Amino acid sequence: MVRLGRYVLAPLAGLLLAGASYAQEMTDVGTPRNETLIVQTFDGKSANPDVQNPLNQYAIWRGFRELGWSFLWEMDTATGQSYPELAAGPVEVLNPEHTKFRIKIRPGVFWSDGVEFTVDDLIYTLDTSFKYKDKLTFVARTTNYVKEGSWSKVDNYTMDIETANPAYDFQTVLGVYTWGSLFVPVPKHIFEGQGDNVVTFKNTNAVTLGPYKIKEFDPNGFWQLWELRDDWQRSGWGNLGTPKPKYVLYKDFGAEETRTLAFVQNQYDVDTFMSPDSIAAAKARNPAIETFSPTLPYHDMNDACAYGVYFNQQKSPYDLPEVRWALALTTNLQQVGISAVSGQFKAAALPFADTPITDPVYYQPMLEFLNGLTLSDGYKPFDAGFGDGMVAALKAQGTPEADLPTGDAVKQGFGQGWWKYDPAEAEKLLGSVGIKKGADGFYTKPDGSPWTLDFVIPADWNKVMQRTGFSIADSWKKAGFNVTARQADNGEFTTVQNTNAKLDLMVNWNMTCTYNSNWFNSWNSFSDTFVKPVDSNEPLQGNFIRVTDPEIFKLVQDSKVLEIGSEPFVANGIEIAKKLTSGMQFINLMNIPTTIPTNSTYWKNYPKQSNFYAAPYTWWSSFKKTIVNIEPTGK
Amino acid sequence: MGVLQYVAKRVGLYFAVLFIGLTITFLLPRLMPANPIDGYIGQIQARASGALTADDIIQLRANLEQLYGLKGDLFSQYLSYLERVVLHFDFGPSFTYYPQPVSQMIFNALPWTLGLLLISTFIAWLLGNMVGLVAGYFHTKKAATILEVVGILLYPIPYYILAVSVILLLAYIFPIFPLSPTFPVGQMTPQKFGMVIYNSLLPALTLVLAGFGWNILSMKALAVATTEEPYVTYARLKGASNWTRMVRYVFRNAMLPQVTALALSLGTVFNGALLTEMLFSYPGVGLIMRTAASGGDYNVLYGAIAISIIAVATAGLVIDLIYPLLDPRIRHK
Repeated sequence: MVRLGRYVLAPLAGLLLAGASYAQEMTDVGTPRNETLIVQTFDGKSANPDVQNPLNQYAIWRGFRELGWSFLWEMDTATGQSYPELAAGPVEVLNPEHTKFRIKIRPGVFWSDGVEFTVDDLIYTLDTSFKYKDKLTFVARTTNYVKEGSWSKVDNYTMDIETANPAYDFQTVLGVYTWGSLFVPVPKHIFEGQGDNVVTFKNTNAVTLGPYKIKEFDPNGFWQLWELRDDWQRSGWGNLGTPKPKYVLYKDFGAEETRTLAFVQNQYDVDTFMSPDSIAAAKARNPAIETFSPTLPYHDMNDACAYGVYFNQQKSPYDLPEVRWALALTTNLQQVGISAVSGQFKAAALPFADTPITDPVYYQPMLEFLNGLTLSDGYKPFDAGFGDGMVAALKAQGTPEADLPTGDAVKQGFGQGWWKYDPAEAEKLLGSVGIKKGADGFYTKPDGSPWTLDFVIPADWNKVMQRTGFSIADSWKKAGFNVTARQADNGEFTTVQNTNAKLDLMVNWNMTCTYNSNWFNSWNSFSDTFVKPVDSNEPLQGNFIRVTDPEIFKLVQDSKVLEIGSEPFVANGIEIAKKLTSGMQFINLMNIPTTIPTNSTYWKNYPKQSNFYAAPYTWWSSFKKTIVNIEPTGK
Repeated sequence: MGVLQYVAKRVGLYFAVLFIGLTITFLLPRLMPANPIDGYIGQIQARASGALTADDIIQLRANLEQLYGLKGDLFSQYLSYLERVVLHFDFGPSFTYYPQPVSQMIFNALPWTLGLLLISTFIAWLLGNMVGLVAGYFHTKKAATILEVVGILLYPIPYYILAVSVILLLAYIFPIFPLSPTFPVGQMTPQKFGMVIYNSLLPALTLVLAGFGWNILSMKALAVATTEEPYVTYARLKGASNWTRMVRYVFRNAMLPQVTALALSLGTVFNGALLTEMLFSYPGVGLIMRTAASGGDYNVLYGAIAISIIAVATAGLVIDLIYPLLDPRIRHK
């Protein structure tokens, strides 16, 4: 027995310990752990990891926008201000109509293979996008925005270009608005030789303009490893600061169960969209795991978009503002938020997300409007004390005092307020348009026939929206609406969103994406061009909340020739927001809660609420700010 | 019925099954409420934080209809589909991951699926049948009851619970296996091959445990019934040993339905193992099919389902053809 221990068990134990120690020092992909930042991928596993051509659908969530590509202008996500990246400065406007522009790029920027980046690359990208616009699937934004054949080279670092229409958002369309740009310069010296095959060219391994290059990737799509270029200082954003990790690994750690366990074991540093329950479990087991904020709502609430309930406003009875308001007043958002996202959300009553950037531009100037808003019967629906109510409700549920915001932090955490929960007022409003409860306790249509509300919510592909949708349906059902919450997969969800004949109500987000003063990004499709008959099966291309108000259309049209961010532009945005809100044209609910827990075992100084130098998302191009700001812990 | 007639009938049936299967495969995805073009536009729109304008979407929609081959009437699309699939075994490009060819997506994933599922299915079958045989043949003994209990305990555990329990035990509490494996890339070396095997052991173990119980219970039931057949009694009276009776008399006769079950389950391994792939971060066709179904990616669904139909039908044909070799009663009919 002693011999067994000496000769077999002891070496085995030694081997296991050595293995464990090696595992701590080196990653699974053979890089030193303390030089490698490891993040969970946004999309899980990629089905096309070897497709790296940004002119087509490609393996976009593997760090390309954040580490590999570089854009003409980038967005400072902490302030909402655009700044030049490849460009040498702001775009120069060459005519009063805002259709002719001059782009100057910085000299001395090189691709990862050592070739200099010049305007020839930009011109090649434009030429190719237009030449093959019917075969490339990622160029539509550029080819509709830029006037065909309008660009010309001035010198290696300067070019002129025209847009198809007056453009005041040039820097945020040909550069970054939020998550990245749809215009990605490609290397002419690599792509040109492909000729017509560029439409199926995979571009593996991509030559990059950012400070990182692809070291290896998993052909099965689970991970991709980036390595800092030796010449990173002459890369597209080498002037931003020193990238701290020598390696960045994007990896899918699998289902949430295994991800949580791996996170507890310090196997990676930043997660994406982990559920509040899993985060709480992980935090309890590993003190290095932190949320965006130590107090509620704990997570980042600064995404550009917000969740809301979209109606088919053209369809009876949703064409009646009284019905829409009744549904808003019977949405018990406090309960919805507690049951769907454990109270970890920020309410937003106006039709944009309420963030530190939109707050001074839209929310503060509109507080008086919200507080004074009066319905047709004289009722004031706004509840400015919504945040205090949340604090009280969470306290009553046993949330520790230390986790609850106090003072000004209440409104910063839970928002400026939301609509009152008042089923009695809702019943009154419905009664005013002839809608009353039937013998079964559910509201009927004005003619007395049964009224079933078809409420479409995402299936498993967006669990937060899914849970929110179920909770809203529950809230409505309790108030007397015979609602059916129907789950739809991704494709069907978009079909319902686009098709008048298929939509009653749905939870959605995409008409609210206003990151800064530029509301045009979301609302440019408010136009009579994008109104179809109520029973139409033809796909709608925009205006998914079915606005039909000609005054809103006029405000949008007038704003097309206004400087983005200028006083009249913002005033028009506020006017549209007032019309959408007073008519309750959709029920805006909450900022998209984004759960990005971090693990500070190997890296520290991640963006947090108290240290908000950038949006904390690892799948936005602004992640580059995180890359230059984090610090190794020395472990 | 002559041998040739028997074979011809089975082969004819095989092709009929394939034709019907491929036709249903063409039609079914089109009955889904999801539309691949809407699915793709929705994805792009989501990635662009809603930045695509209405004009962008109009252009994208027109291009995609053309590229995906979704213009024209259903019948001409059907004929083109049959021609591509039957003559060239080409399922076209993936809609969601255009222009990635479907065949490449599937054939990249298939070796992983087959490697894991064929081996684990076979091991589960073999172990389960061996244990079931012993438990059934010696069903009057207490030790046999213990073996049966193993089957009874394992069989009803939902796969998800079983897999998570195994992960917790062998990857978290005792970190013998990786929680989230990293499969090596590049040219395969003996060391890398060892890593692949090591990383596959945990999912394989759960699949064996999940399949093991059913095989124990079914083989045990068959073995008990066969043990009481007159020819087994005759063999005992003739003085044949326990081993001879168990293996040559009971096992060979009880095995027939088990072989059919094995062949059919080997056919279905082409569908992949979605839960296994999700929980163990294991590459395979299951996740590809799941993504295709949710996004309305017709071509990927055609490819994956068609391969599965061909596999199951072929397994059925092979069984039909080798059955006479295994069972003399069929041979002499």
